[in-house]
Amino acid sequence: MQGNGFKVGAVIFFLALSAWYLFPSLQGISLNNRLEEMGQEERTDYERENYSRIESIKEKSLNLGLDLQGGMHTTMEVGLRELLVQLAAERRDDAFDQVLATADERSQEEGISLIDAFVEEFERRDPDARLSRYFRSETITRRSDNADVTDYLRTQGTDAIERAMQVIRNRVDRYGVTEPSIQTQGSRRIVVELPGIDDPERVRRLLKGTARLEFRLMADPGELNSSLQRIINYYEVDVAVEADSVEVPAEEDIAEEADTSFDVSQLLAETEGLDDVGNPLLDVLIPAGQGSVVFGEVSVQDTATFNMLMADPDVQAMLPRDIELLYDANPSGTGGAEYYPVLAVNMNAELTGDVITDARSDFDQTTNQPLVDMEMNSEGARVWSRLTGANVGKNVAIVLDRVVYSYPTVIGQISGGRSQITGLASQEESDDIVTVLKSGALPAPVEIVEERTVGPSLGIVARRSGFMSLLVGLSIVALFMIVYYRGGGMVADLALLINIIFILGILAGFNATLTLPGIAGIVLTIGMAVDANVLIFERVREEQSTGKTLKASIDGGYGKALSAIVDANITTFFVGIILYSFGVGPIQGFAVTLMAGILASLFSAIVFTRIIFDYVVIGRRGIVNFG
Amino acid sequence: MRIFENTNYNLVGSRKRGYAVSGILLLLSLGAILIRGLEIGIDFRGGMEFVVESDEILEVTEVRAVLTPVLETSPEIKTYSDVGAEGQDALLIRTASEGETSEVQMLIIQSISDAFPDSNPRVIKTDIVGPRFAEDLKRGSFYAVLGSLLVIFLYVMLRFEWRFGLGAVAALFHDVLITLGVFSLLQGIMPFSMQIDQAIIAAFLTIVGYSLNDTVVIFDRIREYTNLFKTEPYKTVVNRSVNTTLSRTFVTSGTTLLVVATLFMFGGEVLRGFSFALIIGIIIGTYSSVFVATPVVVELYNRSGSAKKAGQR
Repeated sequence: MQGNGFKVGAVIFFLALSAWYLFPSLQGISLNNRLEEMGQEERTDYERENYSRIESIKEKSLNLGLDLQGGMHTTMEVGLRELLVQLAAERRDDAFDQVLATADERSQEEGISLIDAFVEEFERRDPDARLSRYFRSETITRRSDNADVTDYLRTQGTDAIERAMQVIRNRVDRYGVTEPSIQTQGSRRIVVELPGIDDPERVRRLLKGTARLEFRLMADPGELNSSLQRIINYYEVDVAVEADSVEVPAEEDIAEEADTSFDVSQLLAETEGLDDVGNPLLDVLIPAGQGSVVFGEVSVQDTATFNMLMADPDVQAMLPRDIELLYDANPSGTGGAEYYPVLAVNMNAELTGDVITDARSDFDQTTNQPLVDMEMNSEGARVWSRLTGANVGKNVAIVLDRVVYSYPTVIGQISGGRSQITGLASQEESDDIVTVLKSGALPAPVEIVEERTVGPSLGIVARRSGFMSLLVGLSIVALFMIVYYRGGGMVADLALLINIIFILGILAGFNATLTLPGIAGIVLTIGMAVDANVLIFERVREEQSTGKTLKASIDGGYGKALSAIVDANITTFFVGIILYSFGVGPIQGFAVTLMAGILASLFSAIVFTRIIFDYVVIGRRGIVNFG
Repeated sequence: MRIFENTNYNLVGSRKRGYAVSGILLLLSLGAILIRGLEIGIDFRGGMEFVVESDEILEVTEVRAVLTPVLETSPEIKTYSDVGAEGQDALLIRTASEGETSEVQMLIIQSISDAFPDSNPRVIKTDIVGPRFAEDLKRGSFYAVLGSLLVIFLYVMLRFEWRFGLGAVAALFHDVLITLGVFSLLQGIMPFSMQIDQAIIAAFLTIVGYSLNDTVVIFDRIREYTNLFKTEPYKTVVNRSVNTTLSRTFVTSGTTLLVVATLFMFGGEVLRGFSFALIIGIIIGTYSSVFVATPVVVELYNRSGSAKKAGQR
């Protein structure tokens, strides 16, 4: 018993520490139970009265992973490629695009930064070329050397990610999620975790929305109509060529058989063939009438085909100068199917969203449709007033992220910098637009590269099955140990229980998150935790069989088993470290509990059980049966 | 209660039989991996997975027939056990489609509710991995596996002599290959997903750690007994070491197997492939520490030690 004071102290200290960290979690469980018993009204009252206490309990409780409580986990990447294009702006040329494309491929394959790959590729292509050809800023001039430009680009890259993170944080805060987590991962990714999300689609839009608001003039109706006719004719001609090539063998056949007879079936086949091909453009597009800024209407299913047809460079050349086609945000309600108007707008914006100082969600007084009211700064107001004054009777398109929300006809000059976005589907949409407009624009488009969503009901199922396996696993192993090692087994079981308290304490203390794979890690540790005791007990039995006293056997058992225990556990601990460093998300959860489990089990199986045996055997002169 | 008390099986003597069994298993596994290949999950190749719950029971084949024309590629569809409110099965739909998540999701829900008007389908879980991210996950896992093997090898080398290091690593490869082989053989046959994803890589690394755990305990005993019984032939010493640790080997494997089986049964669909890998790995790992790792040490000892220690054998 002598010299055990320190060990006893250590056990008590760690137990107290675990209890301290776990106490809020226990409070949280009892709080939840109490809240569930209450009625709706009573519950809101209670929550309001005890707001700060509830918040503090929630904050200090053991975090449950999204897989256990439901929610959305997304990894987003800031489009550095688009950022470089934006930085180069009009200085960009073919060589730039080629280098960027190769660099993009390389960065993907080798997992290196796009900016580094870009600089390397650029210098490899022409060692003497200067990057300053493409990039300018206050600090970068034509004379800046490549190293300076590279530094500038790197700073721009990290800035973009930081700004994107800030913007996303603003948006998430405005959306209102309890306990969101937004973190950077590596040098170019942002991980957003949102517990309890029930509308992933809306969140996706909110996170990705660049909210590039633009006010653009629209095409001249007359010009638009003639180019529409030209494009239709272009596809008409195309069909005729195809039909010709099909007909060639047929004509030879006719010539061979009888040159005078008119083959009706042949004609039918031809016209049928023509019908099948038709005019591919008119198959998908309902052309608009004259005098409109609308190009035509396309049904939802045909948008892909329409885009493909219009992507033809020859067709693009037929559009009026500096005009591009964008979709309307709202389908025109004709017929059962949904048709989207295609609008012809100027490529260049007259005004952009950065002049917006305030935005507010509202309803139209007469139609009761949702809308967004916006206010501009003085600079914006001046341009807006000039723009509306000069274009009375024409349309101005209000474009958000390359979708036209409305294109009102200007009735008179608007001073004071007020404008509106109408044509919104719901108040939800107007709220989201306000959120995105007010949180600032993203520096570069972001892309969701990974998304994992778990519905709340599934989270409950996962939680239930996780704790079920924990309970069953624990009981089976505990029962086995008692059957196999009798008294010793009971001590080992006690150690096992303490072990689990330690693991949970470590997790809570380090503010780690408990995930389903994490629970699997704990369950696995239960199986392996008894191993240390198995090794010791087997040794004790061996010692006993050589005729030693119980005390001597216990001494020998602990002494001799130690090296095997340490060796066996260290390797698994290594695996845990490596899994933690390379794994992501849930796998890290598994690694953490595995490592915590090994540390806790070593302590409880070696130190704790020894204290018990020493106390019983030496202190009380009792007997422990090792089966 | 005691099992394997004071056993004296001639395990080292019968190692040739072990070689035959391992050889056959390895050949089968390699063959299966080469011919049948391994199913790679979306973690490593990118794609989308949706778990769709519905009010009425949907047949996998019917849903596949409905979705194939809409998604343009034939989606993989499996049942996803006991997740619904009343414990009914849901469907796991996996597609390589690269469209917008929201659009693909809408398309799936729309098509199913059009074809089965009473089903009221809803998505309760999504996993989407972009090709770029998948590439990174693949790279991360590759380094994780490589790193683990290296660290383990170095550790065993430092702690024991080189023969033990080689024996342990041989056993590790044996275990991982055979477990992979089992996965390759059973994929598509078992009612749960057996795709190689992040979780399976974690399971494999755990198997590696576990298999080593068993092996190290035996090696530790061999090291101890070699010093204790200097006059006895090496083979006898090794055989005694394996026999005395046999009880521990079985007890620990037993308890670990019990908990892993618990995970397999109660842990839900997410952990099923993972815990299945562990079950196979623990069985193979226990076997290999006795019949692969230890015999390799004996063989290496015989070969390198035959010249100077000829008298001892």
